[in-house]
Amino acid sequence: MDDNLEKIKSEYLSNIDSLTTDEQYEQIRIEIFGRNGKINDLFSKIKDVPPELRKQYGADLNQLKTELEEKLKSKNIQKADKLTTGKLTSPIFGLPKIGHLHPITQTERQLNDVFIKLGFSLYSGPEIVTDEFNFKRLNVPQDHPARDMQDSIYIKEPEYLLRTQTSTIESYLLKVHSNNLPIRAACPGSVYRNEKVNRSNHFVFHQYQAVVVDKEISMKDLIGTMDLMFKTLYGPDVVVRYRCKYYPEVEPGVGPDMQCFSCHGSGCPLCKYAGWIEMGGAGMIHPKVLEMAGINPQIWSGFAFGMGLDRWTMAQKNIKDIRTLMGGNLAYKPNEK
Amino acid sequence: MKLIYSYLQKFLPTLDVKPQQLRDDLTMIGHFTNYFEEIDNEIIFDLDIKVNRGDCLGYYGLAKDLSVFYNIPLVTSISPEIINQANNNLSIKVNTENVNRILAVKISQLQNLNSPIWLQNFLKYHQSKSINLIVDLTNYIMFMYGIPSHAFDTQKSTDSLIWEMNSKYTDFITLDKTKLGIDKKILMINNASQPLSLSFWGGQECAIDLNTKEIILEMAIYKPSVVRQNSRQLRSTTEASIRLEKQLDPELIPLAFNHLCKLVLQNCQGQISSSFFEYYPQKNIPTPISFDLQKPSKVSGVEIPQEFSLDCLKRLGCIISPTIDNLKSTILITPPTIRPDIILEADLVEEIVRFWGYHKIPSDQPLAYKKIKDITPKEIFLIDNLKDKLTDLGYDEILSWPLVNNPSDLSTVITTQNSINTESIYLRQSLIPSLKRQLDQYQRYKLNQPQFFEIGKIFFKEGDNYIEKNSLAIYHHNPEQLKNDLQYLDLPQSNKESSFFEIIIDNLSKPSEYQPKTKHQSAYELQSQLIILDANITFDTIQDSSQLIQKYTQIIGPKYFWEMVITDIYQDETSQNYRYTLRVSYFNVDDKTAKEIHLKTFGLI
Repeated sequence: MDDNLEKIKSEYLSNIDSLTTDEQYEQIRIEIFGRNGKINDLFSKIKDVPPELRKQYGADLNQLKTELEEKLKSKNIQKADKLTTGKLTSPIFGLPKIGHLHPITQTERQLNDVFIKLGFSLYSGPEIVTDEFNFKRLNVPQDHPARDMQDSIYIKEPEYLLRTQTSTIESYLLKVHSNNLPIRAACPGSVYRNEKVNRSNHFVFHQYQAVVVDKEISMKDLIGTMDLMFKTLYGPDVVVRYRCKYYPEVEPGVGPDMQCFSCHGSGCPLCKYAGWIEMGGAGMIHPKVLEMAGINPQIWSGFAFGMGLDRWTMAQKNIKDIRTLMGGNLAYKPNEK
Repeated sequence: MKLIYSYLQKFLPTLDVKPQQLRDDLTMIGHFTNYFEEIDNEIIFDLDIKVNRGDCLGYYGLAKDLSVFYNIPLVTSISPEIINQANNNLSIKVNTENVNRILAVKISQLQNLNSPIWLQNFLKYHQSKSINLIVDLTNYIMFMYGIPSHAFDTQKSTDSLIWEMNSKYTDFITLDKTKLGIDKKILMINNASQPLSLSFWGGQECAIDLNTKEIILEMAIYKPSVVRQNSRQLRSTTEASIRLEKQLDPELIPLAFNHLCKLVLQNCQGQISSSFFEYYPQKNIPTPISFDLQKPSKVSGVEIPQEFSLDCLKRLGCIISPTIDNLKSTILITPPTIRPDIILEADLVEEIVRFWGYHKIPSDQPLAYKKIKDITPKEIFLIDNLKDKLTDLGYDEILSWPLVNNPSDLSTVITTQNSINTESIYLRQSLIPSLKRQLDQYQRYKLNQPQFFEIGKIFFKEGDNYIEKNSLAIYHHNPEQLKNDLQYLDLPQSNKESSFFEIIIDNLSKPSEYQPKTKHQSAYELQSQLIILDANITFDTIQDSSQLIQKYTQIIGPKYFWEMVITDIYQDETSQNYRYTLRVSYFNVDDKTAKEIHLKTFGLI
């Protein structure tokens, strides 16, 4: 490298090393790389270099530029680490980038908080499941009309399918822990239905299941716990009614409906003029389900409830298209907590 | 299902509640009522009937439920006793075990007509088309009692009917002239030479028309699973199939069939011209259930008086008798035949609790905390821990489609068999393609320097086994920074420089416990590309960059503001002033509005 360039290089490398403040950093960056900075100045003088040396000079100058850029960049990273999380790169200055959890994860964690405080564990299960765990152990035998309630996506019909509900996790949970009672577990997870993907429907969506097996569990425990959950999600003034509803895996079955937040019960297009919005399904675990898991229903009882997370999350974040949640045009403001 | 108030009152003449109240009461006892509307002075309800309540697919069953709930009498003017009949026997054969009960009779000298207005309207309110009087009356009875029936024109069908599984026909033409391909699994009603009807859909060959003078009228109930299977196989759903694939009460057939015969005779001036044919090989006898009278209180968690329980069971039509061992609170309950869904003690408990009222169970007493052994699988702790660390590093979490259109490795890919989304039939084997699609999406919306991750299942086949693993995939626009972050996360790094990274996390060491952070962060559905505008502002002194950004961020406000960075700071040699170039991204706003906001914010107008 040309002696002059070597001198400039060592001078600036030393200057960069000694930088301590934002202002010094910006000053030296402008001094070297600004429109009227040193590098542009040196490039503008290339015309004064004799033609036979011009090629080498150009190469040396580019090398100088690269080395100084890298030096400055590494300084930048160290400096930013102190400030934020190490993300200051090409913009000269931006506020620290803040990472975001997916809205579904945020909702799951909100619910996890409620249940962990009540002594629940978290639980998960496979997504490719057998007919036995997705249907039979939930009291839905072959040819039962309840199978029509869910259009399944099969991997190998009729034995293997993608789980259609988080109750399937409950089947695995009860089987694995039938000798380890009592149980309190919350099971968030994705579930699959054979639906065309459009603005309102998706083949994959998210549910949250809570399962309790203990002695002397009653509907009062179920309804009280669900109400606590709804109040956590929607606030203390939420109005929820609990009605009789059929699910083969529970009996008595319970359907929680939330008073429509748009019309407050008078009926509107959002609630299809019912004044209420269905919030999921619940009930006392059916004695047959307990028996199939090897749990004696004369001694143990329990409740289970499940609710979809997608619609609630969409309403909370004002998302109109369900596809947005899964690899769509969902985005987060870089600096917004 | 539609329910007309005035027709419900035919079974419940003393019913006198406001429509809104009836809607709410029906819903609370398990028959979710979407809405009611008034049409031509009739109040019509729209109900969702539970799949286990085939009895409520007719007015009679719903009226029976409401008679228990309101404690009012259920009235029927029809006798279930067989009406006058002639001596001629019908030539009917039943060659299959899939029939539970048939009642049939021949009626001659009929005068078929168009239906009267009341009947046409009744069918219209039930979204059913009026055909002619005889056909419409069979449909009327189906809606009233929930049991389908069928009329064959004997001039076309002959007098001989055979219930059998199809053995020789390949095609069947339905009443609406739809041609269906049929095989040996289809339950049929044929004569000796031609197919006449499916179990749930009549045929064109013997359709009733205005010239019909003689009919064989039949009402039958089949094995529900056979009708269901036939309906699925032929991809045909009718009002009859919806009912016949549920468990219906064969004991209700005489009442419903007599009502139908009576209406046909009254309205079409015919005469019974055969004896009644009955096929009922195995009488439906409900099994008694041992019932602990304390159970409703135990299950509900509130005190339900035993007198209420007993009264409720009686009104449901249960037969109550003491147990042999004379246990004080245990009795034997024989449920009514119309309720084949009641087979266990738990079913009886549900009946009592729903009529007692779920609203009487307090909702302010959740489970109390109880220390129970934590059974959380450790990978959940690991996943939560990774998510928190990655978001701390500035990464955004995404979720993508687990079903994809291109397999990464055809030899191990798992393919779905029946996905109706034909473009996405493979279970993903890697998260990287999804991350790439997300990156394309972000670039389309001009999002600046994205960095994001996904934790989700990937799937593959090993021999006959289906394997699923938890995978973590990360994208950072700066590969060097990604490398640093992986180091911080203590994850193995590849020598290859890339903006993408993926690892199966099931084998990583897992924390023994982890309490994830609860975050309430905003997320936005981008409706259009970000609009990026620059502003040059001059100051006479150097500015604090953070404060400068915060100041202008606040002026713009959160509605359209996405991001702001300083892209250049330049000091003028002459004036010694500092010129700052601020690059602002706006979202969900059009160009013109963004420019207006921009010019106003930076005083550039």
